[in-house]
Amino acid sequence: MPADPNMKILVVDDMSTMRRIVKNIMKQLGFANVEEAENGVDALSKLRAESFGFVISDWNMPVMTGIDLLRAIRADDKLKTIPVLMVTAEAQKENLIEAIQAGVSNYIVKPFTAEVLQEKLIKIFK
Amino acid sequence: MLNGNVKLYDELGELARYLESAMRKMTEVGAPMVANSAQLPQATAHLLDLNTMTEEGTLEVMRLTEIIQDNRARAAKELASVVSTLEAVDCRTLAARLGKTAQDLMHDEKHLIDIMTALSFQDLVAQRVKKLVTIVEDVQCKLVELVVVFGLNQEGTAPETQGKAGEMLRQLEASKSTAIKQDLADELLSEFGFK
Repeated sequence: MPADPNMKILVVDDMSTMRRIVKNIMKQLGFANVEEAENGVDALSKLRAESFGFVISDWNMPVMTGIDLLRAIRADDKLKTIPVLMVTAEAQKENLIEAIQAGVSNYIVKPFTAEVLQEKLIKIFK
Repeated sequence: MLNGNVKLYDELGELARYLESAMRKMTEVGAPMVANSAQLPQATAHLLDLNTMTEEGTLEVMRLTEIIQDNRARAAKELASVVSTLEAVDCRTLAARLGKTAQDLMHDEKHLIDIMTALSFQDLVAQRVKKLVTIVEDVQCKLVELVVVFGLNQEGTAPETQGKAGEMLRQLEASKSTAIKQDLADELLSEFGFK
């Protein structure tokens, strides 16, 4: 099933520049309903308060990391089916394995291109 | 038994002398090292400034790129509308030419997205800087431990202001506090007859 262009997307990153980049690419790809969170805790509270169809998260963040956010999402009955894409500078094999074990939907290594993000979106929502 | 004790006292004496000499050397080397470490918090602050500066620059490039993207989207919409009007009145050659221009604009859209994604360098730089700051802070903690363990005398040890590190820090500080803005530079230039 292709991604619904109206679905609400949550971009989680402590860097405002990265949030803006991802938001911009998503807009160009036809997804205008994008919200932002600065860390895992902020993201979890938004995810529990509203209905989101997709989460794009960084790994390294203060307060709560992306991997902990992913585990919290997968452990929550109401949130566990939300696809989570990790976009991170953590490019070690161990990181990728850890994310897979935690239930990540796909994984992008920074720096990345719009084409890579689009390709991952298609894979997640096919 | 007596010979054994004498030998033991000799060895203990030698060990004591070695320890005393090591402590003296430690104090000689350690004191300037501790003085130098006074520069570390300042250096760390400058590293963090680097993050702020690249972030501000990146956000400005993003703002301008987004303006161009919006303008380009409006122009593309307008072009598409003109192309359909021209096709409706059978001006096919003109419609084809405008259609080609619209396609060229589409290529620029990709370039603009590439500019946005290329700006992710700022995030990578910021992450590395944060790691470097953590390392510097850790080194500083270790130096403090050294002061405590070896009782290195910090009093009377003036913070290191000579040498390369001191000079670099002075330059960095000056760039923050005494750097002039363009309007002041223009004012000074005009005072010297530049128009």
